[in-house]
Parts: sequence; structure tokens; C-alpha cells
Amino acid sequence: LYRKPLKELERQGILKVTALVDRNAGNAGALHASFPRAAVHEELDRALATGQSDLALILSPAQLHAEQTILALRHDNHVLCEKPMAATESQCDEMIAVAQETGRVLAIGMIRRFFPAFARLRELVVHGELGQIGSFSYSEGRAFDWDVKSPAGFTRHPQGGSGLLFDIGPHALDYLIWLFGALEVASYADDSLAGGVEGNVVMELESSVCTGSVQLSWDFPLKNGLRVVGSDGEAVLRTDEFDRLAIRRAGSFSEVTIDRAYPADVCEPARRRLCPRLYTESIYCQLIQVARAIQLGEPPAVTGEEGRECVRVIESARRRAQPIEMPWLDGPRQEAYRALHWTNA
Amino acid sequence: MGTVTILGAAGFVGTRLVESLVLDGQPEVRAVVRAYRSLAPLARLGPAVTVRLADAEDRAALVPVLQGSDAVVNLITGPPAGIIRSTQSILEACAAAKVPKLIHLSSAVIYGDVASPFLDDDAPPVPRHWMPYAHAKATAEVRLRQQMADAPYQVTVLRPGIVWGVRSPHTMSIVHALLEKRSYLVGEGQGVFNGIFIDNLVACIRACCDHPGEVRGFYNVADEELITWRDFYAALAGPLGYDMSRMPSVSGARFPWSSRAAVEYIQLLPIVNGLYHRLKTRLPDTMKSRIKKWLSGRYEYEGHASRYVTKPTVDREVWHLQKVRHKLSAAKFARHFGYTPPVTFEEGIRRTLLWLAFLGYHLSPTTVLTE
Repeated sequence: LYRKPLKELERQGILKVTALVDRNAGNAGALHASFPRAAVHEELDRALATGQSDLALILSPAQLHAEQTILALRHDNHVLCEKPMAATESQCDEMIAVAQETGRVLAIGMIRRFFPAFARLRELVVHGELGQIGSFSYSEGRAFDWDVKSPAGFTRHPQGGSGLLFDIGPHALDYLIWLFGALEVASYADDSLAGGVEGNVVMELESSVCTGSVQLSWDFPLKNGLRVVGSDGEAVLRTDEFDRLAIRRAGSFSEVTIDRAYPADVCEPARRRLCPRLYTESIYCQLIQVARAIQLGEPPAVTGEEGRECVRVIESARRRAQPIEMPWLDGPRQEAYRALHWTNA
Repeated sequence: MGTVTILGAAGFVGTRLVESLVLDGQPEVRAVVRAYRSLAPLARLGPAVTVRLADAEDRAALVPVLQGSDAVVNLITGPPAGIIRSTQSILEACAAAKVPKLIHLSSAVIYGDVASPFLDDDAPPVPRHWMPYAHAKATAEVRLRQQMADAPYQVTVLRPGIVWGVRSPHTMSIVHALLEKRSYLVGEGQGVFNGIFIDNLVACIRACCDHPGEVRGFYNVADEELITWRDFYAALAGPLGYDMSRMPSVSGARFPWSSRAAVEYIQLLPIVNGLYHRLKTRLPDTMKSRIKKWLSGRYEYEGHASRYVTKPTVDREVWHLQKVRHKLSAAKFARHFGYTPPVTFEEGIRRTLLWLAFLGYHLSPTTVLTE
């Protein structure tokens, strides 16, 4: 997903890709065709030691985010770290502290915030256009189809950072926090057996303004979207429709197309703007925002503190974990599943 | 049973089979998938499953993965040409890996509309089936039959009809059609629903794995009850708030063509299909995104549509499936394996509804979900 936006930014002379780093040399090598001038490294410290980079994009598995981000910051690099920010809240604290100490920008990748419909729904909520918000329900589930290059996300790690909750979870939770403020976990259940990682999650959340539910799945097809119910209206955001929003104030829902453009260069003020409707376009806007944070001192779209809040909710959820109820299994298998669930191991 | 290796383990049937083996304490379960992304539906089961990466069409890659297996279950699906290639590759790899038993999943779709009530489990497939998937399954069966006698291991071919229930893509397509009020019956729904509940199919596969004796042969597998398409739709319709008395019926005498059906027909032509798969990787993101949205169908903000479709757009595959005339007998399998389906139709529907409720589908307040 980053290949096209980075190529475009290189073409415009906004940045230059100087190094590609992957412990699996084949993965970095595959990218090299797109960035032939970039050096290829298997270790991040070697790449950073060359002193050729100002900005590090941390796109590795979540378990490596803290270590690599801190290493990059210590080498005077600004950092854009993909979601989730880290595997634990304490790692996030450390990353934020090092960013403050070194005076570098620490931005967290949450590309959905740039999508027009997502931003418009936040306006509706924050500006009270739906009245007093009473509840929300968020569902996102489908067969996992990202062409991942490593099994890291599917393997349990002692410190966390893998599984569905660290995959789709940050998208859902970051957005809900952006909409409703700090969230507390009222209940959480998943389907992971001991030594595995969850593929289905259900949770109840509370904020100071409303309560709601979240259901995520890697293998069940869910009705993907966020429904927000207020005293004056209701809105439905489909997680696969980036520029359309359905709103009902009375009667039935009506769909509206949203335009929302973001700076597409690093000029002050921006000379070009882009309304992102694809993941690659959103990543482009996010990278521009980071470049503007570095060059113009603007705040990044998602700060380390916001990234940490999302990880805090995930950690809090896991502390409350229960087995998901699976009444469609026969009796003996329901019992076996509960006995083998990671919380009972 | 010793080590069971499942090819295509991340699919609908595979996931359920692996889950049941793990929950029942099967000590050695080996799941074979083609790509890392396929680990997602299995990851929750943790180290109870040994996962191996291999392309089922790559015989050399398969051999080390299959070695040490006491039974191999072939659940590979995908593009039609791939089904035939992978079947051949698996046959050869099983021989090279000295696997004692291969269980291959075929499909009752190879018998078209099941023209005779006396169709034997060894009856040949309908020749030149119009549906590429059915044609591929039939071709694979022919290859298996040719090589079965000489194979240095036992080959069992199971032939389920429509696999329905929890996680079933087919069931979900019916659920969505009901919610969008665009369902229809063919010939008043009197055709036979040759289905098998997912847990019953899993039980059949496991009966083959566990059977200590001779298991070589072709077997139809099915639920116990004789169910019509009207019965099947009605079982789901009420709980989903669909009034069966308003379901339109189309003629079974002649397929009612529509522009959408014509597009689908063209898409299925081998040359177009091949071209599409080659072009797919080169399409710009915007176009891929539009195609994906178009295929995903309508999004009902209210949870279900308010108006019933009276002149439905008929899907060619659905039309043919609803015209099945006879129930395929699973008596041979029951006799040989001493098998009785563990789940009744009624119980299967109950479990399916419980699953739908979990997914967030609103069920009618009158729905009874207790045993």
C-alpha cells in the first residue's frame, strides 16, 4: 500500500526513499524494483547508522514497533509508526518519552481518519448534529485477505501485538475514541484457545457520552459498519465506503457523498489538495501530513498519545477476557472450547 | 486416528473440520494452506494445529508436508482448472509420501438435476456440465476413478450436495436474499434440496479417517431428511422476517434470462474467465474497488428491505440447483461406515440461527432457539 504513495512523493521531490529494511531480504528486494536508488538492509540499525534518513516508516509487525521506533528516534529520525502503536501501553509510554527527549515527530498511522465519510461522521457527533448520542454499534468482519508476508500477526507473542484485536482492533478503537473520547471496556470476549490468537471478538464499551458494542471477525462475514444513534438522528458509516454516509433525521436513511480534501503538498498554505477515496490516497495524505509536521511544525494527524490510548483499551480488554459464547457447537464441544480457552489455560 | 492432514484447511469445511478435531482432542492435526493470510481462520486454535504452507498444485512441495500422515483430506477448491491440477498433484504426492488413505471431497453437483431416483454412487457424472466448477469436479472424479484401483493407498471420494449451516457461504447467500426480499422459488420450490449440514459432513469425513478397514470407493453423503427448496427457505424465512406467502415462483421449464444472467454467463466462458483472472492483477485500484462494491450487493441500513421483489432476477446456478428432482441416496455410506447423521435438519437450522444471531442478524421474536 505504501509503494504507490512513496513513488508519487519521490516523483514530486517531497521525499526520497533511501533505504528498505526487512529481516527477510526477499521482501525488501521485491520493493527494490520500485526504489532502485534505495539501499537494502536486513537490520534497521545498519540502515540508520548510514545517517541517510530523516524519517523512518515503521511498517513491521506490531511486536517490533517499540524497539524500532525508539531506535529510529535515537538516530534523530522522525517516525511514522503504523497502527497499532505498540504491543503494550508501557512501550507506548517509552516511545513518547523518547520522542519528547529527542524532539522528533512521532506520528501513528491511522489512515481511516483521512477518509471523507469518517471525518464527516465525527463532525456530526462532535457538533451535536445527531443530538445527544445514546449508543453505537461497530461491526467489521470478513475473511482475512491481506497478502501478508509473515505469520507474525497469527502467532501469540508473550507481550501481545498479534491477533485480530491488534489487527482490525486499532482501526475500530482509534476511530471510536476519536468520535466519543476515552473509552472504558465494560466486557470483552474472544475465541482464542491457549497459545492461539483471537479470530473473533465481541466487546462492550463505555465513554462519557454513550455506550456501544464492537464485534470484529477474521472469518465471519459481518455487516461492516458503524451505527451511531443520537436523540435527533442516526448515522451509518460503512467501513468499506470511504466517501459515503447514510443519515436519518426522520423517516428513512439517505446516503450522501462526502468531499473532504487534505493538503497534497508541503507548501504553506497548501497549493494542492486531495480527497482520498482509496487506501493508497489516504496513505498519501497521511505521509504528506507527516512531512508537513516535520517541515512546517503542524501536528501529525494521530499523535503518540492518541496511539497509546488505543493500546490502553486493547490491554484493558484483554484483562477482562472471557470465552465467546458459541451456542452453535454441540454441548461437549462447547465445554471443550471453554476448557481450552486461553483464559483457562 | 493418528496424524490427519487437511489440504485447504482454511476454507469453510476445512476450518470446521480442524476445529472439531482439536476440540475432540485429536492429537495430530496438520493444516496445509497456500499463503500466510489463510492462517487467519485457524490462528485461534493455536499450537493444537500444525500449520504448513504449500501449494496443492506443486507436487514436490506437497510430498514433505504429507509424509507421516495417516490420512489426508483434500478440501481444495478454487478456480476450476486448479481443482483438476491439484487433484492430480495430490494423488501423486500421496503415493510419493506413502500416505495410506486419501479422502477427496467431490460434489453432488456433478449429477446435475439428479434425473433418476436410482442413481448409484458409482454412476458417471453428467457429461459436459455447463457449470465450470461442476465440470472440474467431474473431471477430477474421472481421474480419481482411473487411478483408484492402482493407487498404493486407499482413496475415498465423498460427494456432498450443498453444504449448509454455520459459516456456509451458500447459506449466507440465501440469508442475504431473504433479507433483501429478492428470494424466489423455482417451480414452487418442489425441487429437492440435496444438502448436508456442515457438522454432518465433518462427521462423514471423520468416519472415513477413523474407519479401520477398507474405505476405497465413491460415496454420496447427505442429511437424513427429504427436504424441498420450499422447506429450506421456509425454515430460514420466518426467523428472518420474510413472509413465505409473498415469495415469487419462476418457471422451471425455461431459464428466464436477464442482463445480469447474461453477464454471468459470459463471465463463465473459459476464455473470458481466464482473461479476467489475468487482467485482475493489472486493473487500477479504483476499478477493483468499484467492482468489489458492485459485487457486494445492497446494504440494508434498516437491516432488511421493506419491499418484496415480485419479478426477481434469477441466478442460473440457483435455478438449476432448485430443479433437482431426486434425493441422492447416502445409504451406501451409512451401510459401510455404520453412519447416522448426528444432526437433524431441525437442529441444523437451530444452530444456524444461533450463529446468525451471533453475527448480529435480528431474528423474529417468535423464533425458538432452545433445544
